[in-house]
Amino acid sequence: MVGRDLVELMDAQEHRGADSTGFAIYGVPRDSGYVVRAMGFDRNALSKDLEDFTAILRQHGGDHLEDPTWDDSSDRHYSVRMVISDPGDVTRWAGDADEICKRLEIQSVGRSLEIIKDTGGAYAVADKHHVRDMIGTHGLGHARLATESDVRPNASHPFWARPFPDVAIVHNGQITDYYTWRARLEHKGYRFMTYNDSELIAVWVSDRMKEGLSMEQALTRSIEEIDGVFTFMISRSDKIGWAKDRFAMKPLVVVDENGQIAAGTEEQAVRRVYDRDGVSIINHDGPSLHGIWGVGNRGAAA
Amino acid sequence: MEEVVIEVADRPVKEVHQDIQAAAKAGKSILVRDTRSRHNLGVGLPEGCSVRFEGSVGYYCGGLNNGATIKIERNAGWGCGEAMASGHITVNGYAGMSVGAAMLGGTIHVRGDSGPRAGVAMKGGNLIVEGKIGYQSGFMAHGGKIIALGGAGTSCADALWEGEVWVTGDIDDLGVDAVVSEPTAEQVAEVDAILDPLGLKDTSRNWRRIVAGQRLWYFESRDAKAWLMI
Repeated sequence: MVGRDLVELMDAQEHRGADSTGFAIYGVPRDSGYVVRAMGFDRNALSKDLEDFTAILRQHGGDHLEDPTWDDSSDRHYSVRMVISDPGDVTRWAGDADEICKRLEIQSVGRSLEIIKDTGGAYAVADKHHVRDMIGTHGLGHARLATESDVRPNASHPFWARPFPDVAIVHNGQITDYYTWRARLEHKGYRFMTYNDSELIAVWVSDRMKEGLSMEQALTRSIEEIDGVFTFMISRSDKIGWAKDRFAMKPLVVVDENGQIAAGTEEQAVRRVYDRDGVSIINHDGPSLHGIWGVGNRGAAA
Repeated sequence: MEEVVIEVADRPVKEVHQDIQAAAKAGKSILVRDTRSRHNLGVGLPEGCSVRFEGSVGYYCGGLNNGATIKIERNAGWGCGEAMASGHITVNGYAGMSVGAAMLGGTIHVRGDSGPRAGVAMKGGNLIVEGKIGYQSGFMAHGGKIIALGGAGTSCADALWEGEVWVTGDIDDLGVDAVVSEPTAEQVAEVDAILDPLGLKDTSRNWRRIVAGQRLWYFESRDAKAWLMI
């Protein structure tokens, strides 16, 4: 199961940093309507937050298809899951919905994508949000050691490529020309919820693709144009792309067998999922590498 | 010599390490099983100790080696043999990033390829790779020899200080201030003497011996571009 395997991968890598853990899981895709994951910052204001969120959604011609559900923890912040009908224009609706982002911040929007993240280690986050029970076609996970921005539940990975439905990213590294790129993208109308450089890469790649580049072209450009050290994986409903910087600073370990792929930062982590001794491990250790895996076969959802 | 078998699996590495140290003290040879690519196995082992790792190992295996003989039957992760002072490490498969980083002495022998920055900042000893050495191998090495029998990746021997990188096979390209020099017969004989005990001596090879061009040894403000080439 995607949820269970991702939790194991993250637990194995928790020693790298355990301040927060997150998951982006692609469930069986809907033909219409979106799953929205959002995080509110004051549980006492939950009803008011949802009321305002719903009002904005209705202004854009959308509505709830199911009753929203949220975690029952006693934490001040809360995570809510909603299923909505298609707003007239997703980008414009998301822009307006972000007017209340200081209270209720959208974490993901997708036909299949759901991003769950929180402070704490893999098992704690998995228990709280029932991640192990989630089925799907593919997903990303991330264990975070914050170095250059806050430890907050919404500042952990994966990041949604706001406002592109079904696009998520995880990243190991840091972007040194972050503020330059952020200013350029903000000038184009993009909005960032955190000062985390990884949030930027997702939007950077998606923006290039919106301008007409293929994912492969966008990944290649990112290696040439983004300064810093990185291995990142960007996922969509039908593929996962990855890229590594020019200096080969960050690892990527992959097992690709029998139509199934597991990837991680460390070999010992992918061995949690593939524990056979003879399994063949691919180490993408070199500089300026990129790749794309086709994923998202509905029939293979597990 | 009597052999002790030590299982790793999901046991705490500290415990595994205490078992290895105890067996080494008792003068037994050691077989470590079910390694699961775990990190920090076989670090800081003493002279005379002999350890064989049956599977792949994770980061820093054989680091700070102080004279032990270590065999890894499959792949090694990052920093294998980092900062080792003496001893002998054999990796039968692939050695990940920075094998032999900052090593001071002894021998590391990799039968497969190695990842980027093999022998980074090494100070002494010999690092022999039968396959290809990865990107930027020998980066800022201060001493010792890296000997690659299957070619070298890009940026080979970048910013080399006083070490030497010996390559047979293709070099994708040379790093900043890396210069190919014609080896003398004595120098080749010295390398063959290192390879001979490993069963790798072959006098018909075309060697390229890469050393520092010495332009980076002293900062020269009029030549600042040389420092900014990466």
